[in-house]
Amino acid sequence: MAVKRPRLAAVTTVYRKYSHTQHIVDRFVEGYGWNGTHHHPEMDLVALYVDQVGADDLSRDRAARFPTMKIYPTIADALTCGTGKLAVDGVVLVGEHGDYPKTPKGQVQYPRYQFFEQIVDVFRSSGRSVPLFSDKHLSWNWEWARKMYDTSKEMGFPFMAGSSLPVTWRIPSVEFPTGAKVREALCICYGGVDSYDFHGLETIQGMVERRRGGETGVRWVQAYRDDKFWDACRDNVWPRELMNAALCRSHTLTPARAGFGDVFPSLDDMRRLVKDPVAYRYEHADGLMGTMLLMNGLVKDFNFAASLDGVSKPFSTQMYLPMPDGRTTLADFFNPLSYNMEQMFLTGKATIPVERTLLTTGLTAAGVDSLFAGQVKVETPHLAIRYQPTAQSTFWRT
Amino acid sequence: MPRTITRRTFLAAAAAVPVLAQATRTKRIAIITTIFRLQSHGQHIGDRFMVGYPFEGEWHKPNTQVVALYVDQKPEGDLSGARAKEFGFEVYPTIAETVRCGGSKLAVDAVVIIGEHGEYPRNEKGQTLYPRYEFFEQVAKVFEAEGRSVPVYNDKHLSYSFEKARAMRDTARRLKFPMLAGSSLPVTWRLPELELPLGCEIGDALMVGSGGSDAMDFHGLEALQCMMERRKGGETGVKSVQLIEGAAVWEAGEQGRWSKELLRSALSRSDNLKGFSVTDGRPQDMVGTGVLPGLVKDPWAYFVEYRDGLKATLLMLSDAVGDFTFAARVKGKAGIQSTQFLLTPDPNVTYSACLARKIEEMVETGVAPYPVERTLLVSGVLEKCLDSRVKGHVRVETPELGVEYRAPRVSQYCRT
Repeated sequence: MAVKRPRLAAVTTVYRKYSHTQHIVDRFVEGYGWNGTHHHPEMDLVALYVDQVGADDLSRDRAARFPTMKIYPTIADALTCGTGKLAVDGVVLVGEHGDYPKTPKGQVQYPRYQFFEQIVDVFRSSGRSVPLFSDKHLSWNWEWARKMYDTSKEMGFPFMAGSSLPVTWRIPSVEFPTGAKVREALCICYGGVDSYDFHGLETIQGMVERRRGGETGVRWVQAYRDDKFWDACRDNVWPRELMNAALCRSHTLTPARAGFGDVFPSLDDMRRLVKDPVAYRYEHADGLMGTMLLMNGLVKDFNFAASLDGVSKPFSTQMYLPMPDGRTTLADFFNPLSYNMEQMFLTGKATIPVERTLLTTGLTAAGVDSLFAGQVKVETPHLAIRYQPTAQSTFWRT
Repeated sequence: MPRTITRRTFLAAAAAVPVLAQATRTKRIAIITTIFRLQSHGQHIGDRFMVGYPFEGEWHKPNTQVVALYVDQKPEGDLSGARAKEFGFEVYPTIAETVRCGGSKLAVDAVVIIGEHGEYPRNEKGQTLYPRYEFFEQVAKVFEAEGRSVPVYNDKHLSYSFEKARAMRDTARRLKFPMLAGSSLPVTWRLPELELPLGCEIGDALMVGSGGSDAMDFHGLEALQCMMERRKGGETGVKSVQLIEGAAVWEAGEQGRWSKELLRSALSRSDNLKGFSVTDGRPQDMVGTGVLPGLVKDPWAYFVEYRDGLKATLLMLSDAVGDFTFAARVKGKAGIQSTQFLLTPDPNVTYSACLARKIEEMVETGVAPYPVERTLLVSGVLEKCLDSRVKGHVRVETPELGVEYRAPRVSQYCRT
């Protein structure tokens, strides 16, 4: 029996080269490399809303080249294709990049929550809901994120969100053993606060949720920056052994010494190379400790390490992002993310628990709060989020 | 601080660890290289044996000591003197003195020859005349004179000349020393982790690469060969080769001489497509949209016909891609098997750590982890392809390339 091709709407902030919208929407209209072929999703992205159209906009070029995709002036118009009633079978919300004001804490106020609200308004007025994917963290604002999650549960539509990090290649290609008891987990990565910190947290969470018992939520978060970061490093507030293991998975270690291409840095080297280090240290309800380290100037990749009960050596891997900052031309880590979205749109079932992203959204916001409050320990009773991982691994292996 | 080892603690420790990890004598290594400058092969492989390298999530310090270095040229930026001072070895004026550490007898446990980079003339085929054969011969001369040999690693192809390359392999056989050679491509990470089953029947195979001759095409041919050698019956040698360029490459595709389906599959593994992907970031189906002939100014196709009848192609498409990808049809496997041979970025070039590990393995065990015949055959294929080019892109019969060997049973590429 022929299955009807799902029709999708994309609700986005800005569509320019190397914006998340370009990476994601392009993969639906242009296709992308998957399983050894150029894969065209078995669905049609028919409606596009772009919040900001600048001189470098690509949405007009894409709409001209793909006439089945029409640009609409409002989110409601996009979802209804101008008919007044929901006229799509799935929605992709990409609220990353574009010019939006910052909060006093430095968070960019991407309008993901506002877009989400307008999307569910159409669901409500049409008496019908469809699956929704929301890129990156749900919102910079925890209360809004929680509301998005609760709304999706109340209305009963499949909801998926998050970053590419949990679904991209791993080098080496490894997964936690089933039932692993994890004591400590750590990610060394790069980028800014309320931005790549979220990716670092998703890197960790995509792994540790598979530990024995599943996810139990997070009790508290404490951020460290500048001198406090280095003091904490020196005092082994987080395990140096895991830092070393993670750094040994990096492909982008800044050489600590002139004239060398690949040398292992000492703590003094790191202090010299990294100008504004940030750590989020947090405890899960079952006692697992997590540490996310932003070390700009030392690495330009995402490296994970964990200590497992009964295993003497740290478990470690790199969550590999082909990064179009000169290293590659294609941000192909959006391939597995797009593929997961497609699966949801085809089956009506999220392939990744949205609770993961709810938790990492809350962790990101709590980390920012801790930084802003002078690097104090922030209790997080609101992050008592329990969930189980999917039975099958969802990272890129084929 | 080193722990004091008594006989009792040593025995206790030895009993507790696997055989391979038992304390063995530190192996003394001589490095023979053309130049030692930042980002030269000499530096990035040589340094692995001085400062260590990342391996299996640890900073691995090989149980080796660089005790002697020969550098043929000292261009601006030469680091040989600084390394010698820091790591406590001598830079000797000749290769014989290097492997004898200035004394009268062979004084090293292994020799690493890195004849890549530096100013050397090119021949009429466009090959850079790196003196790998000449370096090797001087090393072997010492071995022969003393009646004792040690393992030798040779970076990249054995020589620009197949005749010289074969002489090198023959010398290693005659003097009975382990020899390893080649580039990082066969041992680097693969995305995804594809290995062709040993003894499989390959229907058709295509490699896509980027960069100039005779540097980068060697990498492409070697990556191709490390997959092909796993076929049923093992390696049988090469019957003929042909190199064509320009519009003829696309015509050959139209005629089915190389497979567009395989090209499409290989390109689906690339993270470095050029053209529109550079202009505006879009993913592309370059085969489907037909952009390749307009995009690639100077395509080269290397055709390899094996003695057992199998055919394989390397397409060098520098204006279309910036990485190395592979695709093949294998009997009994649905669809096309494809992967990317991952070349990680400068300046870490961590892929060379994968290679250093293999060199270390040979130094440690005295057994080359994969046959030097692979590199011998690829050296010959490259030279004969370039012969084809200078002769007007004709098909060249290659009776001398009857290089037979078996692939290692265990996969050698990096997965841990």
